[in-house]
Amino acid sequence: MISSDLIKEFLEKGRSDSCPVIDMHQHMGPFQGIYFPNPSPEDMIRTMDRCGVKMGVFCSHAALIDPEENVEMAKIIKRYPDKFRAYWCINPNYPERIEREISRFSKMEGFVGFKFLSDYHKYPITGSRYRPVLEYAEDHELLILMHTWGKSPYDSPALVEKLAEKYHRIKFLMGHSGYGEWEKSIQVARKYQNVYLELTAAYAVNGIIEWMVKEAGSEKILFGTDLPWFDPHYGIGCVLFSRITDEDRRNILYRNAERLLQPFL
Amino acid sequence: MIKPIRFAETADDLLKEMDFYGIEEALVYHFRQRDDSPIVGNKILLREIEGVHRLHGTLAILPPQTGELGSLEDLLELMRVKNIRAFRAFPSEHKYLMTKTALGPLYELMIERNIPLFISVNESCGGISGWYLIEKILSDAPELTLVVTEHGSWGHDRFFRPLIEKYENLYLDISRYELDGGISRFCADYGADRLLFGTGFPQWNPGGPILMLAQADITSKEREMIAAGNLLKMLGRVRL
Repeated sequence: MISSDLIKEFLEKGRSDSCPVIDMHQHMGPFQGIYFPNPSPEDMIRTMDRCGVKMGVFCSHAALIDPEENVEMAKIIKRYPDKFRAYWCINPNYPERIEREISRFSKMEGFVGFKFLSDYHKYPITGSRYRPVLEYAEDHELLILMHTWGKSPYDSPALVEKLAEKYHRIKFLMGHSGYGEWEKSIQVARKYQNVYLELTAAYAVNGIIEWMVKEAGSEKILFGTDLPWFDPHYGIGCVLFSRITDEDRRNILYRNAERLLQPFL
Repeated sequence: MIKPIRFAETADDLLKEMDFYGIEEALVYHFRQRDDSPIVGNKILLREIEGVHRLHGTLAILPPQTGELGSLEDLLELMRVKNIRAFRAFPSEHKYLMTKTALGPLYELMIERNIPLFISVNESCGGISGWYLIEKILSDAPELTLVVTEHGSWGHDRFFRPLIEKYENLYLDISRYELDGGISRFCADYGADRLLFGTGFPQWNPGGPILMLAQADITSKEREMIAAGNLLKMLGRVRL
């Protein structure tokens, strides 16, 4: 088997003392099309502890659907300040509420930025309804986690590029790394210093992590799991068993996230 | 027919990949069995794994009525000679119906000889796909040993749990069973003997199921059953 102290440690203990994990793409609570054994905050913390995930940044499933649910996430962060931060979901199908959403966001603690779920909300990330949010995020140097998918008319890597050309201080996290349109996603992450590839679901594609590290650099890759969807050990295993160095693995599993989250801790 | 990012060209290459991941043995098919005619692909597989004891082959099936793979006796004799102990179905690519009318004689052979049939949940035929197709196969041949591969990553428990409860010879591979807590909850509800370790290599990264199984919240005995024991037992039951 491949020789790596990190792999040995994770295989034996399920976690590593020297390599914590930060999960930059989580959700919480039940969801429409899937059965979750572990959907509650406490369930998720148990899973995170088992896998050595020291912190997760989430957007609850409820908030993806109803903007009024965003404030509920603040209560979770207050209850578990060492385990969670959150993204405030912007639903562009309620354009009349967006200014109010920004105002409410500005008064809350524990949020690192915004979540766009454009493929599901059926509205493009480049649409004008998102503009006030993007301008606010630019002014405050926030993170935006976007669901991105290859060839999507709403959130393809080419559309991310259009935003990255205009906004230089927002940290754009390409959720799922523009799944399927790998070459373009990697190119965008390489070209723009503020665009990151986030690995949820993408990690399963054999060879993709090596390709990303080679072309975009391990400093531009973030770990995520969609928890309570995916067992973190599955994604961690994909990172560990990729043909990259232990330094690359550490960058992906926690170092890059630590750097991005530092202003919000 | 889409080329994976990383793959093994030959059996030797595949053994090197397995060494990298610490995988001792594998049940395999050749991409040509799926992407080409099974007439061509089955021969390529048999040639490639000849004398390679760590690789166990599967034969792609076709409806016996066309006689393309010879008679059922010919097929059985080939399996005896080459020690092949499993079938695979690719109805999407090979264009046939998985009905009792088309595959009844083959189903009877598989049931009589305990030969397992492997099929991806992503297959479809005649307008039926996914778990609906799996239920169709099992309702036609309830005693068939059927292994469904590649379910997930969007959780499929709502689909497969009713089938698991009804059909005792239905098995699942864990290559994409990524659901947090999925394996441990499944084992608690149904036992570990219905799950098989799989990777989906070269399409999917084997590191995922390896660490997931290594650290799943189950007993060592259950882990061993999923990792190897269940498949070895299944293949050991085959009577050629």
